[in-house]
Amino acid sequence: MCSSCGFPAAPGHWTEAGAATPHDRLRARFRRAQVLQSVLPAYGLTAHDGAQVPGIQLGTLSGSQTIVRDLEEVWAEAERLSGKAIDPLDPRFIGEETP
Amino acid sequence: MAGMVETSDAAEGRMRLTVLGGFLGSGKTTWLRHQLHHGLLADAFVVVNEAAETPVDDALLSQSAELAVVAGGCACCEARDELVALLRDICDRRVSAEGRRPDRIVIETSGLADPGPIVSAIRSDPMLAYHIVISEIVVAVDAVYGLEQLRQEPLSRRQMELADRLVVTKIDEADEAALARLLATLKAINPGAAISGAVKGSDAALPDSGSAEPEVLGEVGDGGAPIRALKLEIGEDIDWTAFSVWLSALIHARGDDILRVKGVVRTPAGRLLLQSVRKIVQSPEILPDDRPLGDDNGLVFIGRGFGTDQLARSLRHFAGLRE
Repeated sequence: MCSSCGFPAAPGHWTEAGAATPHDRLRARFRRAQVLQSVLPAYGLTAHDGAQVPGIQLGTLSGSQTIVRDLEEVWAEAERLSGKAIDPLDPRFIGEETP
Repeated sequence: MAGMVETSDAAEGRMRLTVLGGFLGSGKTTWLRHQLHHGLLADAFVVVNEAAETPVDDALLSQSAELAVVAGGCACCEARDELVALLRDICDRRVSAEGRRPDRIVIETSGLADPGPIVSAIRSDPMLAYHIVISEIVVAVDAVYGLEQLRQEPLSRRQMELADRLVVTKIDEADEAALARLLATLKAINPGAAISGAVKGSDAALPDSGSAEPEVLGEVGDGGAPIRALKLEIGEDIDWTAFSVWLSALIHARGDDILRVKGVVRTPAGRLLLQSVRKIVQSPEILPDDRPLGDDNGLVFIGRGFGTDQLARSLRHFAGLRE
Protein backbone atom coordinates (compact mmCIF):
# COMPACT_ATOMS: atom_id res chain seq x y z
CA MET A 1 0.00 0.00 0.00
CA CYS A 2 1.05 3.55 -0.69
CA SER A 3 3.01 4.82 2.30
CA SER A 4 1.39 8.24 2.23
CA CYS A 5 -2.25 7.26 2.47
CA GLY A 6 -2.26 3.66 3.66
CA PHE A 7 -1.48 1.55 6.66
CA PRO A 8 1.80 -0.39 6.71
CA ALA A 9 1.72 -3.81 5.11
CA ALA A 10 3.15 -6.82 6.91
CA PRO A 11 6.37 -7.95 5.18
CA GLY A 12 6.86 -11.39 3.65
CA HIS A 13 4.28 -13.87 2.42
CA TRP A 14 0.79 -13.06 3.70
CA THR A 15 0.49 -16.35 5.56
CA GLU A 16 3.44 -15.32 7.75
CA ALA A 17 1.89 -12.01 8.80
CA GLY A 18 0.50 -13.31 12.10
CA ALA A 19 3.88 -13.53 13.85
CA ALA A 20 6.00 -10.46 14.50
CA THR A 21 8.64 -11.58 17.00
CA PRO A 22 11.39 -14.17 16.31
CA HIS A 23 9.87 -16.41 18.97
CA ASP A 24 6.39 -16.23 17.41
CA ARG A 25 7.83 -16.84 13.95
CA LEU A 26 9.66 -19.96 15.07
CA ARG A 27 6.58 -21.30 16.81
CA ALA A 28 4.47 -20.54 13.74
CA ARG A 29 6.85 -22.52 11.52
CA PHE A 30 6.61 -25.62 13.75
CA ARG A 31 2.84 -25.31 13.96
CA ARG A 32 2.59 -24.87 10.19
CA ALA A 33 4.61 -28.04 9.62
CA GLN A 34 2.40 -29.85 12.13
CA VAL A 35 -0.82 -28.89 10.33
CA LEU A 36 0.66 -29.73 6.93
CA GLN A 37 1.91 -33.07 8.20
CA SER A 38 -1.64 -33.95 9.25
CA VAL A 39 -3.10 -33.05 5.86
CA LEU A 40 -0.54 -34.13 3.26
CA PRO A 41 0.08 -37.85 4.00
CA ALA A 42 -3.43 -38.68 2.79
CA TYR A 43 -2.26 -37.38 -0.59
CA GLY A 44 0.99 -39.38 -0.55
CA LEU A 45 3.10 -36.42 0.54
CA THR A 46 5.08 -35.41 3.61
CA ALA A 47 6.05 -32.02 5.00
CA HIS A 48 8.95 -31.13 7.27
CA ASP A 49 10.28 -27.86 8.62
CA GLY A 50 13.14 -28.11 11.10
CA ALA A 51 13.53 -24.30 11.06
CA GLN A 52 17.23 -24.80 10.27
CA VAL A 53 16.98 -23.71 6.65
CA PRO A 54 14.45 -21.39 5.02
CA GLY A 55 11.43 -23.02 3.43
CA ILE A 56 9.35 -26.14 3.87
CA GLN A 57 10.58 -29.56 2.78
CA LEU A 58 8.02 -31.52 0.82
CA GLY A 59 8.55 -35.18 0.11
CA THR A 60 6.81 -37.96 -1.73
CA LEU A 61 6.43 -41.50 -0.48
CA SER A 62 8.98 -42.58 -3.08
CA GLY A 63 11.54 -40.45 -1.28
CA SER A 64 12.01 -37.49 -3.58
CA GLN A 65 12.37 -34.17 -1.78
CA THR A 66 11.85 -30.58 -2.71
CA ILE A 67 12.02 -27.31 -0.78
CA VAL A 68 9.35 -24.68 -1.29
CA ARG A 69 9.30 -21.13 0.04
CA ASP A 70 5.81 -20.67 1.41
CA LEU A 71 2.32 -22.13 1.66
CA GLU A 72 1.33 -20.88 -1.76
CA GLU A 73 4.10 -23.00 -3.25
CA VAL A 74 3.17 -25.93 -1.01
CA TRP A 75 -0.30 -26.14 -2.55
CA ALA A 76 0.96 -25.62 -6.10
CA GLU A 77 3.62 -28.30 -5.66
CA ALA A 78 1.18 -30.65 -3.93
CA GLU A 79 -1.19 -30.29 -6.86
CA ARG A 80 1.62 -31.03 -9.27
CA LEU A 81 2.81 -34.10 -7.34
CA SER A 82 -0.55 -35.61 -6.51
CA GLY A 83 -2.30 -34.63 -9.72
CA LYS A 84 -5.09 -32.63 -8.13
CA ALA A 85 -5.57 -29.63 -5.90
CA ILE A 86 -6.05 -30.29 -2.19
CA ASP A 87 -9.47 -28.79 -1.54
CA PRO A 88 -10.36 -27.91 2.07
CA LEU A 89 -14.03 -28.25 1.12
CA ASP A 90 -13.46 -31.90 0.21
CA PRO A 91 -15.84 -34.14 2.22
CA ARG A 92 -12.86 -35.60 4.07
CA PHE A 93 -12.29 -32.20 5.72
CA ILE A 94 -15.86 -31.24 6.42
CA GLY A 95 -17.11 -34.56 7.69
CA GLU A 96 -18.00 -34.84 11.33
CA GLU A 97 -15.17 -37.26 12.13
CA THR A 98 -12.20 -35.76 13.96
CA PRO A 99 -8.65 -36.51 12.81
CA MET B 1 -17.77 11.77 -21.38
CA ALA B 2 -21.14 10.56 -22.50
CA GLY B 3 -22.98 13.68 -21.44
CA MET B 4 -22.67 12.87 -17.76
CA VAL B 5 -20.32 15.65 -16.73
CA GLU B 6 -22.18 18.59 -15.29
CA THR B 7 -22.05 21.95 -16.90
CA SER B 8 -21.60 24.81 -14.49
CA ASP B 9 -25.24 25.77 -14.98
CA ALA B 10 -26.57 22.34 -14.28
CA ALA B 11 -24.45 21.97 -11.18
CA GLU B 12 -25.19 25.36 -9.78
CA GLY B 13 -26.21 25.09 -6.18
CA ARG B 14 -26.40 21.34 -6.38
CA MET B 15 -24.11 18.79 -4.86
CA ARG B 16 -22.00 16.87 -7.31
CA LEU B 17 -22.16 13.15 -6.91
CA THR B 18 -19.60 10.65 -8.13
CA VAL B 19 -20.57 7.01 -8.34
CA LEU B 20 -17.53 4.79 -7.93
CA GLY B 21 -18.15 1.28 -9.15
CA GLY B 22 -16.21 -1.73 -10.33
CA PHE B 23 -16.23 -5.47 -9.79
CA LEU B 24 -15.20 -7.23 -6.59
CA GLY B 25 -11.59 -6.48 -5.78
CA SER B 26 -11.07 -4.13 -8.69
CA GLY B 27 -9.42 -1.50 -6.46
CA LYS B 28 -12.23 0.95 -5.73
CA THR B 29 -11.33 1.62 -2.11
CA THR B 30 -7.62 1.93 -2.86
CA TRP B 31 -8.31 4.48 -5.58
CA LEU B 32 -10.76 6.42 -3.43
CA ARG B 33 -8.43 6.42 -0.46
CA HIS B 34 -5.73 7.96 -2.59
CA GLN B 35 -8.05 10.61 -3.99
CA LEU B 36 -9.09 11.52 -0.44
CA HIS B 37 -5.50 11.77 0.67
CA HIS B 38 -4.44 13.97 -2.21
CA GLY B 39 -7.32 16.29 -1.68
CA LEU B 40 -9.03 15.70 -5.00
CA LEU B 41 -12.15 14.54 -3.21
CA ALA B 42 -11.09 15.76 0.21
CA ASP B 43 -14.26 17.61 1.11
CA ALA B 44 -16.55 14.86 -0.11
CA PHE B 45 -19.15 13.08 1.92
CA VAL B 46 -18.31 9.43 1.33
CA VAL B 47 -21.02 6.77 1.23
CA VAL B 48 -19.72 3.22 1.26
CA ASN B 49 -22.02 0.41 0.20
CA GLU B 50 -21.07 -3.16 1.02
CA ALA B 51 -22.88 -6.30 -0.01
CA ALA B 52 -21.89 -8.11 3.15
CA GLU B 53 -23.33 -7.23 6.50
CA THR B 54 -19.92 -6.48 7.99
CA PRO B 55 -18.38 -3.38 6.53
CA VAL B 56 -14.59 -3.42 6.12
CA ASP B 57 -13.84 -0.55 3.77
CA ASP B 58 -14.88 2.15 6.22
CA ALA B 59 -11.80 1.33 8.30
CA LEU B 60 -9.67 2.34 5.34
CA LEU B 61 -11.41 5.56 4.49
CA SER B 62 -10.90 7.39 7.74
CA GLN B 63 -9.48 10.39 5.90
CA SER B 64 -12.79 11.37 4.41
CA ALA B 65 -14.51 14.43 5.81
CA GLU B 66 -17.64 12.44 6.58
CA LEU B 67 -18.50 8.84 6.02
CA ALA B 68 -21.64 6.76 6.09
CA VAL B 69 -21.98 3.04 5.49
CA VAL B 70 -24.84 1.23 3.78
CA ALA B 71 -24.12 -2.42 4.53
CA GLY B 72 -25.97 -5.69 4.11
CA GLY B 73 -27.04 -5.43 0.50
CA CYS B 74 -26.30 -3.80 -2.82
CA ALA B 75 -27.35 -0.20 -3.19
CA CYS B 76 -28.72 -1.15 -6.60
CA CYS B 77 -31.31 -3.57 -5.18
CA GLU B 78 -31.85 -4.58 -1.53
CA ALA B 79 -30.33 -1.46 -0.01
CA ARG B 80 -31.62 1.06 -2.55
CA ASP B 81 -34.23 2.56 -0.21
CA GLU B 82 -31.64 2.88 2.51
CA LEU B 83 -29.32 4.72 0.14
CA VAL B 84 -32.06 7.09 -0.99
CA ALA B 85 -32.99 7.81 2.65
CA LEU B 86 -29.37 8.51 3.50
CA LEU B 87 -28.95 10.88 0.55
CA ARG B 88 -32.17 12.69 1.49
CA ASP B 89 -30.80 13.11 4.96
CA ILE B 90 -27.62 14.68 3.55
CA CYS B 91 -29.77 17.03 1.46
CA ASP B 92 -31.80 17.98 4.54
CA ARG B 93 -28.70 18.83 6.43
CA ARG B 94 -27.50 20.96 3.60
CA VAL B 95 -30.53 23.21 3.67
CA SER B 96 -30.59 23.46 7.44
CA ALA B 97 -28.31 26.03 8.94
CA GLU B 98 -26.40 23.61 11.09
CA GLY B 99 -23.31 21.57 10.43
CA ARG B 100 -21.05 21.23 7.48
CA ARG B 101 -22.55 21.46 4.04
CA PRO B 102 -20.89 19.06 1.68
CA ASP B 103 -20.54 20.08 -1.96
CA ARG B 104 -19.59 16.69 -3.17
CA ILE B 105 -20.71 13.15 -2.45
CA VAL B 106 -18.93 9.97 -3.47
CA ILE B 107 -20.80 6.67 -3.40
CA GLU B 108 -18.50 3.71 -3.39
CA THR B 109 -20.75 0.90 -4.54
CA SER B 110 -20.31 -2.72 -3.59
CA GLY B 111 -18.49 -4.85 -6.14
CA LEU B 112 -21.78 -6.54 -6.95
CA ALA B 113 -23.71 -3.37 -7.68
CA ASP B 114 -24.91 -2.24 -11.06
CA PRO B 115 -24.44 1.55 -11.12
CA GLY B 116 -27.41 1.94 -13.50
CA PRO B 117 -30.24 1.45 -10.98
CA ILE B 118 -28.41 3.63 -8.44
CA VAL B 119 -28.24 6.48 -10.92
CA SER B 120 -31.87 6.09 -11.91
CA ALA B 121 -32.98 5.91 -8.26
CA ILE B 122 -31.29 9.25 -7.60
CA ARG B 123 -32.60 10.85 -10.76
CA SER B 124 -36.16 9.70 -10.24
CA ASP B 125 -36.43 10.95 -6.68
CA PRO B 126 -37.69 14.54 -6.84
CA MET B 127 -35.88 15.72 -3.77
CA LEU B 128 -32.58 14.17 -4.73
CA ALA B 129 -32.85 15.39 -8.31
CA TYR B 130 -33.28 18.91 -6.96
CA HIS B 131 -30.20 18.78 -4.76
CA ILE B 132 -27.84 16.40 -6.50
CA VAL B 133 -26.31 16.31 -9.93
CA ILE B 134 -24.54 13.12 -10.92
CA SER B 135 -21.23 14.32 -12.18
CA GLU B 136 -19.47 11.13 -13.08
CA ILE B 137 -19.58 7.36 -12.97
CA VAL B 138 -16.07 6.08 -12.36
CA VAL B 139 -15.52 2.35 -12.73
CA ALA B 140 -12.37 0.58 -11.59
CA VAL B 141 -11.16 -2.22 -13.85
CA ASP B 142 -8.69 -4.83 -12.66
CA ALA B 143 -5.78 -4.94 -15.13
CA VAL B 144 -5.10 -8.59 -14.29
CA TYR B 145 -8.61 -10.05 -14.18
CA GLY B 146 -10.55 -7.43 -16.18
CA LEU B 147 -10.70 -9.38 -19.44
CA GLU B 148 -11.72 -12.59 -17.72
CA GLN B 149 -14.45 -10.74 -15.85
CA LEU B 150 -15.69 -9.24 -19.12
CA ARG B 151 -15.93 -12.73 -20.57
CA GLN B 152 -17.57 -14.41 -17.60
CA GLU B 153 -19.45 -11.90 -15.51
CA PRO B 154 -22.32 -10.05 -17.15
CA LEU B 155 -22.43 -7.66 -14.20
CA SER B 156 -18.81 -6.69 -14.65
CA ARG B 157 -19.46 -5.90 -18.30
CA ARG B 158 -22.49 -3.74 -17.42
CA GLN B 159 -20.39 -1.78 -14.94
CA MET B 160 -17.72 -1.08 -17.56
CA GLU B 161 -20.23 -0.17 -20.23
CA LEU B 162 -21.86 2.43 -17.98
CA ALA B 163 -18.72 4.29 -16.97
CA ASP B 164 -17.83 7.85 -17.86
CA ARG B 165 -14.33 7.11 -16.71
CA LEU B 166 -12.61 3.77 -16.51
CA VAL B 167 -9.67 3.55 -14.13
CA VAL B 168 -7.56 0.54 -14.98
CA THR B 169 -5.95 -0.48 -11.69
CA LYS B 170 -2.91 -2.61 -10.85
CA ILE B 171 -1.34 -1.96 -14.25
CA ASP B 172 2.09 -2.75 -12.84
CA GLU B 173 0.99 -6.34 -12.26
CA ALA B 174 -0.41 -7.07 -15.70
CA ASP B 175 1.35 -8.55 -18.67
CA GLU B 176 1.93 -5.87 -21.34
CA ALA B 177 0.22 -7.67 -24.21
CA ALA B 178 -2.76 -8.63 -22.05
CA LEU B 179 -3.08 -5.04 -20.85
CA ALA B 180 -3.03 -3.72 -24.42
CA ARG B 181 -5.76 -6.18 -25.32
CA LEU B 182 -7.84 -5.15 -22.31
CA LEU B 183 -7.50 -1.46 -23.25
CA ALA B 184 -8.51 -2.15 -26.85
CA THR B 185 -11.51 -4.15 -25.61
CA LEU B 186 -12.55 -1.38 -23.21
CA LYS B 187 -12.38 1.16 -26.04
CA ALA B 188 -14.56 -1.12 -28.14
CA ILE B 189 -17.27 -1.69 -25.53
CA ASN B 190 -17.33 1.86 -24.17
CA PRO B 191 -15.89 4.24 -26.76
CA GLY B 192 -17.12 7.33 -24.90
CA ALA B 193 -15.32 6.70 -21.65
CA ALA B 194 -12.05 8.32 -20.65
CA ILE B 195 -9.56 5.64 -19.68
CA SER B 196 -6.77 6.19 -17.18
CA GLY B 197 -4.36 3.93 -15.34
CA ALA B 198 -3.56 3.58 -11.67
CA VAL B 199 -1.06 1.79 -9.48
CA LYS B 200 -2.01 1.55 -5.79
CA GLY B 201 -4.44 4.42 -6.28
CA SER B 202 -1.94 6.85 -7.89
CA ASP B 203 -2.29 7.86 -11.49
CA ALA B 204 0.00 5.94 -13.80
CA ALA B 205 0.53 6.24 -17.52
CA LEU B 206 -1.12 3.59 -19.64
CA PRO B 207 0.81 1.97 -22.45
CA ASP B 208 -0.46 2.59 -25.94
CA SER B 209 -2.85 -0.17 -26.89
CA GLY B 210 -1.29 0.18 -30.36
CA SER B 211 -2.27 -2.51 -32.75
CA ALA B 212 -3.84 -4.78 -30.13
CA GLU B 213 -7.11 -6.28 -31.31
CA PRO B 214 -10.10 -5.96 -29.04
CA GLU B 215 -11.51 -9.23 -27.81
CA VAL B 216 -14.76 -10.16 -29.47
CA LEU B 217 -17.06 -10.73 -26.54
CA GLY B 218 -19.83 -13.21 -27.00
CA GLU B 219 -23.10 -13.16 -25.19
CA VAL B 220 -22.44 -13.77 -21.56
CA GLY B 221 -24.77 -16.19 -19.90
CA ASP B 222 -26.01 -15.77 -16.39
CA GLY B 223 -22.50 -16.46 -15.08
CA GLY B 224 -23.49 -19.77 -13.49
CA ALA B 225 -24.67 -19.94 -9.90
CA PRO B 226 -25.42 -16.56 -8.35
CA ILE B 227 -22.64 -14.82 -6.48
CA ARG B 228 -23.33 -14.59 -2.77
CA ALA B 229 -21.66 -12.79 0.09
CA LEU B 230 -21.42 -14.61 3.38
CA LYS B 231 -19.70 -14.04 6.66
CA LEU B 232 -17.61 -16.60 8.46
CA GLU B 233 -17.07 -16.04 12.18
CA ILE B 234 -13.57 -17.19 12.96
CA GLY B 235 -13.52 -16.61 16.71
CA GLU B 236 -11.34 -14.35 18.79
CA ASP B 237 -8.79 -16.99 19.67
CA ILE B 238 -8.16 -18.17 16.13
CA ASP B 239 -4.86 -19.98 15.58
CA TRP B 240 -3.48 -17.80 12.80
CA THR B 241 -1.06 -20.44 11.52
CA ALA B 242 -3.69 -23.15 11.09
CA PHE B 243 -6.02 -20.51 9.66
CA SER B 244 -3.44 -19.38 7.10
CA VAL B 245 -2.73 -22.99 6.07
CA TRP B 246 -6.47 -23.47 5.58
CA LEU B 247 -7.14 -20.23 3.72
CA SER B 248 -4.12 -20.56 1.43
CA ALA B 249 -5.24 -24.08 0.46
CA LEU B 250 -8.81 -22.92 -0.05
CA ILE B 251 -7.77 -20.03 -2.27
CA HIS B 252 -5.47 -22.27 -4.26
CA ALA B 253 -8.16 -24.89 -4.84
CA ARG B 254 -11.20 -22.62 -5.18
CA GLY B 255 -9.74 -19.31 -6.34
CA ASP B 256 -11.93 -19.24 -9.42
CA ASP B 257 -15.11 -19.43 -7.33
CA ILE B 258 -14.02 -17.43 -4.31
CA LEU B 259 -13.97 -14.04 -5.93
CA ARG B 260 -13.20 -12.04 -2.84
CA VAL B 261 -12.23 -12.53 0.78
CA LYS B 262 -11.89 -9.66 3.19
CA GLY B 263 -11.93 -9.06 6.87
CA VAL B 264 -9.95 -8.12 9.93
CA VAL B 265 -8.19 -10.81 11.96
CA ARG B 266 -6.53 -10.31 15.32
CA THR B 267 -3.11 -11.94 15.62
CA PRO B 268 -0.15 -11.67 18.00
CA ALA B 269 1.29 -9.31 15.36
CA GLY B 270 -1.68 -6.93 15.52
CA ARG B 271 -4.96 -6.39 13.73
CA LEU B 272 -4.49 -7.51 10.17
CA LEU B 273 -6.65 -6.48 7.27
CA LEU B 274 -6.75 -9.47 5.01
CA GLN B 275 -8.05 -9.35 1.48
CA SER B 276 -7.86 -11.45 -1.62
CA VAL B 277 -9.03 -11.18 -5.19
CA ARG B 278 -9.35 -14.66 -6.64
CA LYS B 279 -5.94 -16.29 -6.15
CA ILE B 280 -4.07 -13.12 -5.26
CA VAL B 281 -3.83 -12.25 -1.57
CA GLN B 282 -2.60 -8.80 -0.72
CA SER B 283 0.07 -8.37 1.98
CA PRO B 284 -2.10 -7.86 5.07
CA GLU B 285 -2.19 -4.30 6.30
CA ILE B 286 -1.57 -3.69 9.99
CA LEU B 287 -4.47 -1.63 11.30
CA PRO B 288 -4.43 0.55 14.40
CA ASP B 289 -5.69 -1.25 17.47
CA ASP B 290 -8.63 1.01 18.20
CA ARG B 291 -11.71 -1.18 17.99
CA PRO B 292 -13.41 -3.35 20.56
CA LEU B 293 -12.70 -7.04 20.24
CA GLY B 294 -16.13 -8.07 19.01
CA ASP B 295 -15.80 -6.02 15.82
CA ASP B 296 -13.15 -8.26 14.33
CA ASN B 297 -12.59 -11.86 13.43
CA GLY B 298 -15.27 -12.21 10.86
CA LEU B 299 -14.29 -12.79 7.27
CA VAL B 300 -16.49 -11.94 4.34
CA PHE B 301 -16.42 -14.46 1.48
CA ILE B 302 -17.94 -13.48 -1.84
CA GLY B 303 -18.31 -16.07 -4.54
CA ARG B 304 -20.21 -19.15 -5.57
CA GLY B 305 -20.27 -22.85 -4.86
CA PHE B 306 -19.80 -22.87 -1.08
CA GLY B 307 -21.77 -22.23 2.10
CA THR B 308 -21.03 -20.84 5.54
CA ASP B 309 -21.48 -24.21 7.20
CA GLN B 310 -19.02 -25.92 4.85
CA LEU B 311 -16.40 -23.23 5.40
CA ALA B 312 -16.87 -23.28 9.17
CA ARG B 313 -16.56 -27.07 9.40
CA SER B 314 -13.52 -27.12 7.18
CA LEU B 315 -11.79 -24.38 9.18
CA ARG B 316 -12.63 -26.12 12.46
CA HIS B 317 -11.09 -29.28 11.08
CA PHE B 318 -7.84 -27.53 10.13
CA ALA B 319 -7.63 -25.59 13.40
CA GLY B 320 -7.97 -28.84 15.35
CA LEU B 321 -5.23 -30.70 13.50
CA ARG B 322 -2.48 -32.22 15.58
CA GLU B 323 -0.09 -34.88 14.42
